[in-house]
Amino acid sequence: MIEFKDVSLVYPNGTQGLKNINIQINPGEFVVVVGLSGAGKSTLIRSINRLVKPTGGELLIDNENILKYGSRDLRKLRTKVGMIFQNYNLVKRSSVMKNVISGRLGHTGTLKSLFNLYPKEDQALAYRSLQRVNIADKLYQRSDQLSGGQQQRVAIARVLTQQPNIILADEPVASLDPPTSHQVMTYLRKVNKEDNITTIVNLHFIDMAMEYADRIIGMRAGEVVYDGPVSDVNEATFEEIYGRKIRDEDRVGGSDDE
Amino acid sequence: MTEFTLPPKQKKTPWQKMRPYVIGIILLAIYIWTFTSIEIRWSRVFSQHTIESLTRVIPQLFSPDWSAFGKVMGLMWETLLMAYTGTLMAAILAIPFGFFAARNMVKNKFLNTASKWALNAIRAFPELVLALMFVAAVGPRPFAGVIAIAIGSIGMLGKLYSEVIESIDMNVVEALEANGANKIQVLFYGIIPQIIPEFLSYAIYRFEIDVRASTILGIIGAGGIGTLITIATTNRNWSEVGLILLVIIVVVTLIDIISAQIRKRLV
Ligand SMILES: Nc1ncnc2c1ncn2[C@@H]1O[C@H](COP(=O)(O)OP(=O)(O)OP(=O)(O)O)[C@@H](O)[C@H]1O
Ligand SMILES: [Mg+2]
Repeated sequence: MIEFKDVSLVYPNGTQGLKNINIQINPGEFVVVVGLSGAGKSTLIRSINRLVKPTGGELLIDNENILKYGSRDLRKLRTKVGMIFQNYNLVKRSSVMKNVISGRLGHTGTLKSLFNLYPKEDQALAYRSLQRVNIADKLYQRSDQLSGGQQQRVAIARVLTQQPNIILADEPVASLDPPTSHQVMTYLRKVNKEDNITTIVNLHFIDMAMEYADRIIGMRAGEVVYDGPVSDVNEATFEEIYGRKIRDEDRVGGSDDE
Repeated sequence: MTEFTLPPKQKKTPWQKMRPYVIGIILLAIYIWTFTSIEIRWSRVFSQHTIESLTRVIPQLFSPDWSAFGKVMGLMWETLLMAYTGTLMAAILAIPFGFFAARNMVKNKFLNTASKWALNAIRAFPELVLALMFVAAVGPRPFAGVIAIAIGSIGMLGKLYSEVIESIDMNVVEALEANGANKIQVLFYGIIPQIIPEFLSYAIYRFEIDVRASTILGIIGAGGIGTLITIATTNRNWSEVGLILLVIIVVVTLIDIISAQIRKRLV
């Protein structure tokens, strides 16, 4: 379970990223965070694996305050929290396999990882992860030879190879076209259900949020201004979160073509 | 008729408008001043003597003395080895400099600036000057040339390396940190794959330059084919000089071609 207790974050330049956040996220939930650009969505997500460090309050993961963690504890925490980025962030010149097996780095000794001496189970796990997102045939291709959607699937496979309890995804489909976006979201959703991985996703598009989320958290100016199950959410809710009328560009349109 | 508006003219201060002309006049003045003050004695440049020597020397240059081929090739090989060893040493020694000078690796302004200054200071010395110093220090041997090449190359390679490192995709580094990799793992999985091809490419390019540089180091006794040039010119053995030049031109051209091919494939 993830618990934000009065969490605040002020960036070194004085910008207030988060303001007194109080939320609880239960194991296995699929939460979508929405809000306008600059609302603090990335800051919220990146606090959970401490890519940014909140400056006030307590952030508990499985009842431990991760804001107190030193670098060793932090690395251990991060092996259990997978992250997916808007720009995939694969090592472009490395093969798909090398990228995916790097999900095991936190579990593997330094020397072993440098000489590529991964246990058989890890190699099998990496391959299985690629199969789960239907991209196992690209195993030995350089990852910069893949399309955006394929690269994002490799990134999901890398996270799966980590065997995380939590997946954080910061705008995972913002660089993809609508059909590919739906495909990637479907895989995230599938993994969430099959492995019961708590999943927190930042999204821009309201129709996509409605389609995949169990629960929606709305943010504005660093504060949580809405938190509720997707069944309670309608267009008016979004207008409240955004503080303006819904426009066409807030929708991605299209739907899963598979 | 369609309406169109021109973009507003860029605002320039009077000094900005004048600047190109001022610089042009200063340059012109410097040229005139140098040419009037160095007193070239044209009568000597085009004297009977010069023309006679040239008509004697040039035909000999173009009829290389092939009997010296073995000796020349032996020394050319030594020259290549000097360049290779020197570049290799520099290619390795420049790595720590590159990392220290890269702002995204070492987050310490003092270290960054200090290593950048060190690299610039090294680059200010021409190989020939370095070689003179090392010939004095270790004696007139190829080793002096190797050290001169190595030190001369560290300056350029270190600077280029640091620029390569500064241009890598740091998001990849962040992604690896986010899945629990430690610093060494991040280095080998995230950073090295991004920099290796460029590093190699620059090192090979520097080898090209160093081959050219090491052909003349022998003139001051630092080993390689340059030694032979000095001996042959003092003996006025122009057909041997011709062969030496021919060998240098062919070998340097071949190396440029091969190196360009390899570098094209790397990145
Ligand atoms: N490293 C930083 N230093 C200073 N201010 C920052 C930093 N990162 C973000 N901010 C500021 O914090 C606020 C929240 O940013 P954040 O990136 O969390 O927004 P977001 O909701 O993810 O926006 P977007 O949809 O554009 O990604 C913004 O005002 C932003 O300018
Ligand atoms: Mg963001």
